[in-house]
Amino acid sequence: MTSPTRPIAPEDILLLAADAARIVLESGGETYRAEETAVGLASALDGVEAECFATPTVIVLSFVGFDGKAHSIVRRVTRRSMHLERVARIDALTRRTRSGELDFAGAAAELDQVERMEGRPPLVSLLAAAAGTGFFTLLFGGAWNDALVAGAVGAGLSRLTRFFARRAIPDFVANLLGAAGATILCLFARSLGLATSADGTIIGVIMLLVPGVAITNAIRDTIGGDLVSGVSRGADAFMSAAAISIGAGGAYQLWNLLAGRAL
Amino acid sequence: MPAPLEPLWAAVATAGFALLFNLRRRDVPIAALGAALGWAVYMLVSSVTAAQAVGLFAAAAVIGLWAEFVAAFLRRPASVYIVCAIIPLVPGGGMYYTMLASVKGQTWNALTTGLATLQAAGAIAAGLALSGAFARLLSLRRLAGKWTGPVHSRRDRPRR
Repeated sequence: MTSPTRPIAPEDILLLAADAARIVLESGGETYRAEETAVGLASALDGVEAECFATPTVIVLSFVGFDGKAHSIVRRVTRRSMHLERVARIDALTRRTRSGELDFAGAAAELDQVERMEGRPPLVSLLAAAAGTGFFTLLFGGAWNDALVAGAVGAGLSRLTRFFARRAIPDFVANLLGAAGATILCLFARSLGLATSADGTIIGVIMLLVPGVAITNAIRDTIGGDLVSGVSRGADAFMSAAAISIGAGGAYQLWNLLAGRAL
Repeated sequence: MPAPLEPLWAAVATAGFALLFNLRRRDVPIAALGAALGWAVYMLVSSVTAAQAVGLFAAAAVIGLWAEFVAAFLRRPASVYIVCAIIPLVPGGGMYYTMLASVKGQTWNALTTGLATLQAAGAIAAGLALSGAFARLLSLRRLAGKWTGPVHSRRDRPRR
Protein backbone atom coordinates (compact mmCIF):
# COMPACT_ATOMS: atom_id res chain seq x y z
CA MET A 1 0.00 0.00 0.00
CA THR A 2 2.28 2.81 1.23
CA SER A 3 6.02 2.88 0.76
CA PRO A 4 7.82 3.61 4.03
CA THR A 5 9.43 6.81 2.72
CA ARG A 6 6.14 8.60 2.02
CA PRO A 7 4.50 10.27 5.02
CA ILE A 8 1.19 8.63 5.85
CA ALA A 9 -1.63 10.73 4.46
CA PRO A 10 -4.90 10.94 6.41
CA GLU A 11 -6.63 9.44 3.37
CA ASP A 12 -4.53 6.28 3.68
CA ILE A 13 -5.48 5.88 7.32
CA LEU A 14 -9.10 6.48 6.42
CA LEU A 15 -8.96 3.79 3.73
CA LEU A 16 -7.26 1.31 6.04
CA ALA A 17 -9.73 1.82 8.88
CA ALA A 18 -12.77 1.67 6.60
CA ASP A 19 -11.50 -1.46 4.83
CA ALA A 20 -10.91 -3.20 8.14
CA ALA A 21 -14.47 -2.37 9.20
CA ARG A 22 -15.80 -3.53 5.82
CA ILE A 23 -14.09 -6.91 6.22
CA VAL A 24 -15.63 -7.27 9.69
CA LEU A 25 -19.13 -6.72 8.26
CA GLU A 26 -18.54 -8.87 5.18
CA SER A 27 -17.32 -11.76 7.33
CA GLY A 28 -20.28 -11.82 9.68
CA GLY A 29 -18.98 -9.61 12.51
CA GLU A 30 -21.31 -7.47 14.59
CA THR A 31 -22.10 -3.87 13.71
CA TYR A 32 -20.64 -2.46 16.91
CA ARG A 33 -17.44 -4.41 16.26
CA ALA A 34 -17.11 -2.81 12.81
CA GLU A 35 -17.62 0.64 14.33
CA GLU A 36 -15.12 0.01 17.12
CA THR A 37 -12.59 -1.35 14.63
CA ALA A 38 -12.81 1.73 12.39
CA VAL A 39 -12.71 4.22 15.26
CA GLY A 40 -9.96 2.32 17.07
CA LEU A 41 -7.69 2.07 14.02
CA ALA A 42 -8.30 5.65 12.90
CA SER A 43 -7.61 7.15 16.31
CA ALA A 44 -4.65 4.90 17.04
CA LEU A 45 -2.96 5.76 13.76
CA ASP A 46 -3.62 9.45 13.57
CA GLY A 47 -7.02 11.01 13.69
CA VAL A 48 -8.71 12.80 16.52
CA GLU A 49 -12.46 12.70 17.02
CA ALA A 50 -12.96 9.66 14.86
CA GLU A 51 -16.63 8.79 14.44
CA CYS A 52 -18.09 5.81 12.64
CA PHE A 53 -21.63 4.84 11.79
CA ALA A 54 -22.14 1.35 10.45
CA THR A 55 -25.17 -0.67 9.42
CA PRO A 56 -25.04 -4.15 7.87
CA THR A 57 -24.84 -2.55 4.41
CA VAL A 58 -22.82 0.65 4.84
CA ILE A 59 -19.93 2.16 6.79
CA VAL A 60 -19.53 5.92 7.24
CA LEU A 61 -16.26 6.97 8.86
CA SER A 62 -14.94 10.45 9.47
CA PHE A 63 -12.17 11.99 11.54
CA VAL A 64 -10.04 15.10 11.86
CA GLY A 65 -6.51 14.38 10.68
CA PHE A 66 -3.26 15.89 11.92
CA ASP A 67 -3.63 18.49 9.16
CA GLY A 68 -6.66 19.86 10.98
CA LYS A 69 -9.07 18.95 8.20
CA ALA A 70 -12.05 16.66 8.41
CA HIS A 71 -11.81 13.53 6.27
CA SER A 72 -14.57 11.07 5.60
CA ILE A 73 -15.36 7.99 3.54
CA VAL A 74 -18.38 5.84 2.76
CA ARG A 75 -18.03 2.12 2.13
CA ARG A 76 -20.85 -0.09 0.91
CA VAL A 77 -21.05 -3.70 2.00
CA THR A 78 -22.74 -5.81 -0.65
CA ARG A 79 -21.64 -9.39 -0.22
CA ARG A 80 -21.69 -11.13 3.14
CA SER A 81 -20.44 -14.59 3.95
CA MET A 82 -19.42 -16.02 7.29
CA HIS A 83 -15.67 -16.06 7.88
CA LEU A 84 -15.13 -15.94 11.63
CA GLU A 85 -11.36 -16.29 11.49
CA ARG A 86 -11.21 -12.99 9.58
CA VAL A 87 -13.23 -11.31 12.32
CA ALA A 88 -10.85 -12.66 14.95
CA ARG A 89 -7.78 -11.58 12.97
CA ILE A 90 -9.12 -8.04 12.52
CA ASP A 91 -9.86 -7.94 16.24
CA ALA A 92 -6.24 -8.86 17.00
CA LEU A 93 -5.00 -6.37 14.39
CA THR A 94 -6.95 -3.53 16.01
CA ARG A 95 -5.74 -4.45 19.48
CA ARG A 96 -2.10 -4.63 18.38
CA THR A 97 -2.32 -1.31 16.52
CA ARG A 98 -3.83 0.42 19.54
CA SER A 99 -1.14 -0.94 21.85
CA GLY A 100 1.50 0.42 19.47
CA GLU A 101 2.82 -2.99 18.47
CA LEU A 102 1.87 -2.41 14.83
CA ASP A 103 2.50 0.80 12.90
CA PHE A 104 0.65 1.83 9.76
CA ALA A 105 2.73 -0.33 7.41
CA GLY A 106 2.41 -3.33 9.70
CA ALA A 107 -1.35 -2.93 10.02
CA ALA A 108 -1.72 -2.51 6.26
CA ALA A 109 0.32 -5.66 5.59
CA GLU A 110 -1.71 -7.65 8.12
CA LEU A 111 -4.98 -6.36 6.68
CA ASP A 112 -3.85 -7.37 3.21
CA GLN A 113 -3.15 -10.87 4.49
CA VAL A 114 -6.56 -11.11 6.16
CA GLU A 115 -8.29 -9.96 3.00
CA ARG A 116 -6.60 -12.70 1.01
CA MET A 117 -7.55 -15.49 3.43
CA GLU A 118 -9.25 -18.36 1.68
CA GLY A 119 -12.23 -20.36 2.85
CA ARG A 120 -11.96 -24.06 3.56
CA PRO A 121 -11.22 -26.49 0.73
CA PRO A 122 -14.39 -27.74 -1.04
CA LEU A 123 -14.17 -31.29 0.32
CA VAL A 124 -13.96 -30.08 3.94
CA SER A 125 -16.95 -27.76 3.58
CA LEU A 126 -18.88 -30.53 1.83
CA LEU A 127 -18.28 -32.89 4.75
CA ALA A 128 -18.97 -30.10 7.26
CA ALA A 129 -22.31 -29.34 5.62
CA ALA A 130 -23.18 -33.05 5.62
CA ALA A 131 -22.29 -33.36 9.32
CA GLY A 132 -24.21 -30.21 10.23
CA THR A 133 -27.41 -31.14 8.43
CA GLY A 134 -27.27 -34.84 9.32
CA PHE A 135 -26.83 -34.31 13.03
CA PHE A 136 -29.43 -31.54 13.09
CA THR A 137 -31.89 -34.04 11.66
CA LEU A 138 -31.02 -36.41 14.52
CA LEU A 139 -31.37 -33.57 17.03
CA PHE A 140 -34.81 -32.67 15.68
CA GLY A 141 -36.01 -36.22 16.14
CA GLY A 142 -35.15 -37.81 12.81
CA ALA A 143 -33.99 -41.41 12.49
CA TRP A 144 -30.53 -42.52 11.30
CA ASN A 145 -31.62 -43.08 7.70
CA ASP A 146 -33.21 -39.59 7.68
CA ALA A 147 -29.90 -38.16 8.89
CA LEU A 148 -28.00 -39.90 6.09
CA VAL A 149 -30.38 -38.52 3.46
CA ALA A 150 -30.19 -35.06 5.05
CA GLY A 151 -26.40 -35.21 5.04
CA ALA A 152 -26.28 -36.06 1.34
CA VAL A 153 -28.85 -33.41 0.37
CA GLY A 154 -27.17 -30.87 2.67
CA ALA A 155 -23.78 -31.44 1.05
CA GLY A 156 -25.37 -30.85 -2.35
CA LEU A 157 -27.18 -27.75 -1.10
CA SER A 158 -23.93 -26.27 0.22
CA ARG A 159 -22.37 -26.68 -3.24
CA LEU A 160 -25.43 -25.07 -4.84
CA THR A 161 -25.35 -21.99 -2.56
CA ARG A 162 -21.64 -21.60 -3.29
CA PHE A 163 -22.35 -21.75 -7.00
CA PHE A 164 -25.15 -19.17 -6.70
CA ALA A 165 -22.90 -16.86 -4.65
CA ARG A 166 -20.15 -17.04 -7.29
CA ARG A 167 -22.65 -16.19 -10.04
CA ALA A 168 -23.89 -13.21 -7.96
CA ILE A 169 -27.46 -14.56 -7.85
CA PRO A 170 -29.51 -12.44 -5.40
CA ASP A 171 -29.97 -14.00 -1.96
CA PHE A 172 -33.75 -14.16 -2.32
CA VAL A 173 -33.61 -16.22 -5.52
CA ALA A 174 -30.76 -18.38 -4.23
CA ASN A 175 -32.65 -19.21 -1.02
CA LEU A 176 -35.86 -19.91 -2.95
CA LEU A 177 -34.23 -22.25 -5.47
CA GLY A 178 -32.07 -23.91 -2.82
CA ALA A 179 -35.02 -24.65 -0.54
CA ALA A 180 -37.14 -25.89 -3.46
CA GLY A 181 -34.40 -28.23 -4.69
CA ALA A 182 -33.71 -29.59 -1.20
CA THR A 183 -37.42 -30.20 -0.56
CA ILE A 184 -37.90 -32.05 -3.85
CA LEU A 185 -34.86 -34.23 -3.15
CA CYS A 186 -36.04 -35.08 0.38
CA LEU A 187 -39.55 -35.97 -0.85
CA PHE A 188 -38.03 -38.06 -3.61
CA ALA A 189 -35.86 -39.88 -1.06
CA ARG A 190 -38.95 -40.63 1.02
CA SER A 191 -40.84 -41.97 -1.97
CA LEU A 192 -37.90 -44.27 -2.63
CA GLY A 193 -38.13 -45.43 0.98
CA LEU A 194 -34.71 -44.01 1.94
CA ALA A 195 -36.06 -41.52 4.47
CA THR A 196 -38.85 -42.14 6.97
CA SER A 197 -39.96 -38.62 7.85
CA ALA A 198 -39.73 -36.01 5.11
CA ASP A 199 -40.43 -33.10 7.47
CA GLY A 200 -37.58 -33.90 9.87
CA THR A 201 -35.19 -34.38 6.96
CA ILE A 202 -36.23 -31.14 5.25
CA ILE A 203 -35.88 -29.01 8.38
CA GLY A 204 -32.41 -30.46 9.05
CA VAL A 205 -31.25 -29.60 5.52
CA ILE A 206 -32.86 -26.18 5.54
CA MET A 207 -30.88 -25.27 8.70
CA LEU A 208 -28.14 -24.39 6.21
CA LEU A 209 -30.25 -21.55 4.82
CA VAL A 210 -32.53 -20.56 7.64
CA PRO A 211 -31.86 -17.13 9.29
CA GLY A 212 -31.91 -18.18 12.94
CA VAL A 213 -28.61 -16.49 13.79
CA ALA A 214 -29.70 -13.41 11.80
CA ILE A 215 -32.92 -12.90 13.76
CA THR A 216 -31.05 -13.42 17.06
CA ASN A 217 -28.38 -10.92 16.02
CA ALA A 218 -31.11 -8.47 15.00
CA ILE A 219 -32.47 -8.54 18.54
CA ARG A 220 -28.95 -8.40 20.01
CA ASP A 221 -28.20 -5.28 17.95
CA THR A 222 -31.45 -3.69 19.06
CA ILE A 223 -30.73 -4.48 22.71
CA GLY A 224 -27.25 -3.01 22.28
CA GLY A 225 -28.68 0.27 20.94
CA ASP A 226 -27.78 -0.22 17.25
CA LEU A 227 -31.39 0.38 16.25
CA VAL A 228 -30.95 0.91 12.50
CA SER A 229 -28.77 -2.15 12.26
CA GLY A 230 -31.20 -4.25 14.29
CA VAL A 231 -34.17 -3.34 12.13
CA SER A 232 -32.32 -3.97 8.87
CA ARG A 233 -31.00 -7.34 10.07
CA GLY A 234 -34.53 -8.25 11.08
CA ALA A 235 -35.84 -7.31 7.63
CA ASP A 236 -33.07 -9.37 6.04
CA ALA A 237 -33.97 -12.37 8.21
CA PHE A 238 -37.67 -12.08 7.30
CA MET A 239 -36.90 -11.89 3.58
CA SER A 240 -34.71 -15.00 3.68
CA ALA A 241 -37.33 -16.89 5.69
CA ALA A 242 -39.95 -15.82 3.14
CA ALA A 243 -37.80 -16.99 0.22
CA ILE A 244 -37.09 -20.35 1.86
CA SER A 245 -40.71 -21.03 2.70
CA ILE A 246 -41.94 -19.98 -0.75
CA GLY A 247 -39.39 -22.36 -2.25
CA ALA A 248 -40.17 -25.24 0.09
CA GLY A 249 -43.95 -24.67 0.01
CA GLY A 250 -43.98 -24.42 -3.78
CA ALA A 251 -41.91 -27.58 -4.10
CA TYR A 252 -44.32 -29.40 -1.77
CA GLN A 253 -47.30 -28.33 -3.91
CA LEU A 254 -45.54 -29.32 -7.10
CA TRP A 255 -44.66 -32.73 -5.68
CA ASN A 256 -48.23 -33.37 -4.58
CA LEU A 257 -49.51 -32.23 -7.97
CA LEU A 258 -47.16 -34.60 -9.77
CA ALA A 259 -48.08 -37.40 -7.38
CA GLY A 260 -51.70 -36.76 -8.33
CA ARG A 261 -52.90 -35.76 -4.88
CA ALA A 262 -54.37 -32.53 -3.57
CA LEU A 263 -52.61 -30.86 -0.61
CA MET B 1 -33.59 -41.04 19.88
CA PRO B 2 -32.37 -41.34 23.50
CA ALA B 3 -32.26 -37.92 25.14
CA PRO B 4 -28.79 -38.22 26.79
CA LEU B 5 -27.21 -38.27 23.34
CA GLU B 6 -28.82 -35.02 22.22
CA PRO B 7 -26.00 -32.74 23.46
CA LEU B 8 -23.61 -34.88 21.43
CA TRP B 9 -25.67 -34.40 18.25
CA ALA B 10 -25.77 -30.67 18.96
CA ALA B 11 -21.99 -30.63 19.36
CA VAL B 12 -21.30 -32.45 16.08
CA ALA B 13 -23.81 -30.34 14.16
CA THR B 14 -22.21 -27.20 15.60
CA ALA B 15 -18.76 -28.43 14.65
CA GLY B 16 -19.98 -28.80 11.07
CA PHE B 17 -21.37 -25.29 11.02
CA ALA B 18 -18.23 -23.90 12.70
CA LEU B 19 -16.14 -25.34 9.87
CA LEU B 20 -18.55 -23.86 7.31
CA PHE B 21 -18.22 -20.48 9.06
CA ASN B 22 -14.43 -20.71 8.73
CA LEU B 23 -13.70 -20.85 12.42
CA ARG B 24 -10.05 -21.71 13.10
CA ARG B 25 -9.68 -25.48 13.39
CA ARG B 26 -8.47 -25.55 17.02
CA ASP B 27 -11.42 -23.35 18.03
CA VAL B 28 -13.98 -25.80 16.64
CA PRO B 29 -14.00 -28.11 19.73
CA ILE B 30 -14.47 -25.06 21.98
CA ALA B 31 -17.56 -23.99 20.07
CA ALA B 32 -18.86 -27.59 19.94
CA LEU B 33 -18.43 -28.02 23.68
CA GLY B 34 -20.28 -24.75 24.24
CA ALA B 35 -23.15 -26.01 22.10
CA ALA B 36 -23.31 -29.30 24.03
CA LEU B 37 -23.34 -27.43 27.35
CA GLY B 38 -26.01 -25.08 26.07
CA TRP B 39 -28.22 -27.88 24.77
CA ALA B 40 -27.90 -29.82 28.06
CA VAL B 41 -28.89 -26.71 30.04
CA TYR B 42 -31.75 -26.07 27.63
CA MET B 43 -33.11 -29.62 28.02
CA LEU B 44 -32.80 -29.49 31.80
CA VAL B 45 -34.22 -26.02 32.43
CA SER B 46 -37.05 -26.19 29.92
CA SER B 47 -38.20 -29.56 31.29
CA VAL B 48 -38.07 -28.31 34.89
CA THR B 49 -39.79 -24.96 34.23
CA ALA B 50 -41.96 -26.23 31.34
CA ALA B 51 -41.21 -22.97 29.53
CA GLN B 52 -39.19 -23.05 26.34
CA ALA B 53 -38.12 -19.41 26.55
CA VAL B 54 -36.70 -19.80 30.07
CA GLY B 55 -34.66 -22.78 28.90
CA LEU B 56 -33.35 -20.84 25.91
CA PHE B 57 -32.47 -17.89 28.11
CA ALA B 58 -30.52 -20.05 30.58
CA ALA B 59 -28.77 -21.95 27.78
CA ALA B 60 -27.75 -18.75 26.01
CA ALA B 61 -26.43 -17.29 29.28
CA VAL B 62 -24.33 -20.42 29.89
CA ILE B 63 -23.01 -20.42 26.31
CA GLY B 64 -22.20 -16.72 26.63
CA LEU B 65 -20.29 -17.22 29.88
CA TRP B 66 -18.36 -20.17 28.46
CA ALA B 67 -17.45 -18.18 25.36
CA GLU B 68 -16.45 -15.09 27.36
CA PHE B 69 -14.19 -17.14 29.65
CA VAL B 70 -12.44 -19.00 26.84
CA ALA B 71 -12.18 -15.87 24.69
CA ALA B 72 -10.63 -13.87 27.53
CA PHE B 73 -7.88 -16.43 27.97
CA LEU B 74 -7.23 -16.94 24.27
CA ARG B 75 -7.56 -13.18 23.55
CA ARG B 76 -10.13 -13.63 20.82
CA PRO B 77 -13.56 -12.10 20.37
CA ALA B 78 -16.17 -14.08 22.30
CA SER B 79 -18.69 -13.77 19.50
CA VAL B 80 -16.82 -16.16 17.19
CA TYR B 81 -17.63 -18.95 19.66
CA ILE B 82 -21.10 -17.63 20.46
CA VAL B 83 -22.27 -17.47 16.83
CA CYS B 84 -21.45 -21.17 16.36
CA ALA B 85 -22.58 -22.48 19.74
CA ILE B 86 -26.06 -20.91 19.64
CA ILE B 87 -26.92 -22.45 16.27
CA PRO B 88 -28.80 -25.46 17.74
CA LEU B 89 -30.90 -23.14 19.95
CA VAL B 90 -31.58 -20.44 17.44
CA PRO B 91 -35.15 -20.37 16.06
CA GLY B 92 -34.31 -20.92 12.39
CA GLY B 93 -36.98 -23.57 12.13
CA GLY B 94 -39.46 -21.17 13.72
CA MET B 95 -38.73 -18.49 11.13
CA TYR B 96 -39.29 -21.10 8.42
CA TYR B 97 -42.56 -22.44 9.87
CA THR B 98 -43.84 -18.88 10.39
CA MET B 99 -43.33 -17.91 6.79
CA LEU B 100 -44.52 -21.31 5.56
CA ALA B 101 -47.80 -20.81 7.42
CA SER B 102 -48.27 -17.36 5.92
CA VAL B 103 -47.43 -18.65 2.43
CA LYS B 104 -50.15 -21.26 2.92
CA GLY B 105 -52.54 -18.50 4.07
CA GLN B 106 -52.83 -19.81 7.65
CA THR B 107 -52.72 -16.36 9.22
CA TRP B 108 -53.46 -17.39 12.79
CA ASN B 109 -50.88 -20.17 12.72
CA ALA B 110 -48.33 -17.76 11.26
CA LEU B 111 -48.98 -15.23 14.01
CA THR B 112 -48.65 -17.67 16.90
CA THR B 113 -45.54 -19.33 15.43
CA GLY B 114 -44.07 -15.93 14.64
CA LEU B 115 -44.59 -14.65 18.17
CA ALA B 116 -43.04 -17.80 19.65
CA THR B 117 -40.08 -17.37 17.28
CA LEU B 118 -39.54 -13.75 18.28
CA GLN B 119 -39.83 -14.75 21.92
CA ALA B 120 -37.19 -17.45 21.45
CA ALA B 121 -34.82 -15.09 19.64
CA GLY B 122 -35.39 -12.46 22.31
CA ALA B 123 -34.71 -14.93 25.12
CA ILE B 124 -31.42 -15.99 23.50
CA ALA B 125 -30.37 -12.39 22.87
CA ALA B 126 -31.19 -11.45 26.47
CA GLY B 127 -29.17 -14.38 27.83
CA LEU B 128 -26.19 -13.35 25.71
CA ALA B 129 -26.52 -9.69 26.72
CA LEU B 130 -26.57 -10.74 30.36
CA SER B 131 -23.44 -12.90 30.11
CA GLY B 132 -21.62 -10.20 28.15
CA ALA B 133 -22.44 -7.62 30.81
CA PHE B 134 -21.35 -10.05 33.53
CA ALA B 135 -17.97 -10.58 31.84
CA ARG B 136 -17.50 -6.82 31.61
CA LEU B 137 -18.48 -6.33 35.26
CA LEU B 138 -15.85 -8.86 36.33
CA SER B 139 -13.39 -7.28 33.87
CA LEU B 140 -12.72 -10.82 32.78
CA ARG B 141 -10.22 -9.82 30.10
CA ARG B 142 -8.00 -7.95 32.55
CA LEU B 143 -8.09 -10.84 35.01
CA ALA B 144 -7.23 -13.30 32.26
CA GLY B 145 -4.46 -10.99 31.04
CA LYS B 146 -2.87 -10.98 34.50
CA TRP B 147 -2.98 -14.73 34.57
CA THR B 148 -1.59 -15.34 31.07
CA GLY B 149 1.10 -12.65 31.19
CA PRO B 150 1.82 -9.50 29.19
CA VAL B 151 -0.31 -8.53 26.22
CA HIS B 152 2.34 -9.28 23.60
CA SER B 153 2.58 -12.95 24.35
CA ARG B 154 3.48 -15.54 21.77
CA ARG B 155 -0.03 -16.80 21.30
CA ASP B 156 -1.14 -13.32 20.32
CA ARG B 157 0.79 -13.39 17.07
CA PRO B 158 -0.96 -14.70 13.99
CA ARG B 159 0.09 -18.05 12.66
CA ARG B 160 1.69 -18.19 9.25
